[in-house]
Amino acid sequence: MNIFFELLEDGIFASIAAIGFASISNPPRKAYPFCAGIAAAGHITRYILMNFAGYHIILSSFAAAFVTGIISLPAARRIKSPAECISFPAMLPMIPGMYAYRSIQSLIKCIESTAEPEFIHYMYMLKLNWTTCLLTITGMVLGATLPVFIFKKFYFKQKA
Amino acid sequence: MVQPQQHSIHEHLKEASSFIGNYAAILYASGATTIRIEKNILRMAGEWRMHAEFSILPTDIIISLWSENKEHSYSTIVRIPEGAINYRTVTYLSCLSRRTAQKHLSIDDARCIMQRITGFKRLDSRAVLFLVGAANASFCRLFGGDPVSMAIVFVATVSGFFIKQRLTEKKWDYRMVSLVSACLAAILSSSGFVFGWGETPETALATSVLFLVPGIPFSNAVSDLIHGRYICSLSRFCQAMMITVSLSLGLCLAFLILNIKFY
Repeated sequence: MNIFFELLEDGIFASIAAIGFASISNPPRKAYPFCAGIAAAGHITRYILMNFAGYHIILSSFAAAFVTGIISLPAARRIKSPAECISFPAMLPMIPGMYAYRSIQSLIKCIESTAEPEFIHYMYMLKLNWTTCLLTITGMVLGATLPVFIFKKFYFKQKA
Repeated sequence: MVQPQQHSIHEHLKEASSFIGNYAAILYASGATTIRIEKNILRMAGEWRMHAEFSILPTDIIISLWSENKEHSYSTIVRIPEGAINYRTVTYLSCLSRRTAQKHLSIDDARCIMQRITGFKRLDSRAVLFLVGAANASFCRLFGGDPVSMAIVFVATVSGFFIKQRLTEKKWDYRMVSLVSACLAAILSSSGFVFGWGETPETALATSVLFLVPGIPFSNAVSDLIHGRYICSLSRFCQAMMITVSLSLGLCLAFLILNIKFY
């Protein structure tokens, strides 16, 4: 039961985050409920994979984005919108922002370093954060784009 | 001497080239992926019995339209306007492309519809302010923050985003806007550290600037990369990096001002 509430909480907060961050990019009004639902599904998937199955953030984000991409296709068809106008805002709560700015902070710390071990430590932090950030975003976009290729006929049928 | 029929073809190409160039520029500025822009343009050009060839560059779009028999052509360079990401515009302009093909709209009809679409108002800025505050507070919770930290992040985000909206209106450079907004949000969110509020002040501080992380430009950059549009990808990536560097500098400045050893 505890796990259920944990997942529910994760889904609810992910959907609030998705609606808020999506509002900056001004999607059509009809897209907001879909963004919220899809973000919740994606974030819960990632939460399960990271916390219960022990997968790395990169692989978990890829799988979560794949789920996001699959659900976005019928949603996009429903509101006659490009799939990325729903899937990208829905993925915003999963963007590894913390890794992105910690990379830059590590770089600044590298410059500030006065001793070699300190410099090497922050250089390691820079590489770790930067690689994780870049690969997570790449995995997410790949995951969200993959369903478009797999279900090409389904996706482009509406566009004809 | 130019024949009357040739003149008419030339005028038709000129009109279409001007429209499609502007259409592509608005889509790019609104945050559409390059592959989306290409699909929409080719669909409309095909409907008007033209062949389109184009390059999308970071600041301009170069478009050449050819008549059906490839005897005449017209080239245009359109500057990409500055503007915030607007998925509503992307959605409706994509619909316009499909409608053009389905209902055989003329260039004039399409131009009228595009003018209407670009005139649509964005969501009220106060509503966006509240939603972004709630979103970042939720983010704080997702990272394990307690209710006090969530409240601190909400106030810090609303203040930071308010400054961002005002400075953007005043046409400040986007890098300075990110730096100042991040600095203000970080200073406010460090109140947990300064006054000992809440159990997770470090989570509040770390998540307070996440509303500035350019998620959509990063996603578009990777999407362009996957589809082999390397110049556009690099351009979008550089812009996203500039924002990330600026917000990190803003955060560091706040740490320096408050003498916080956080990282």
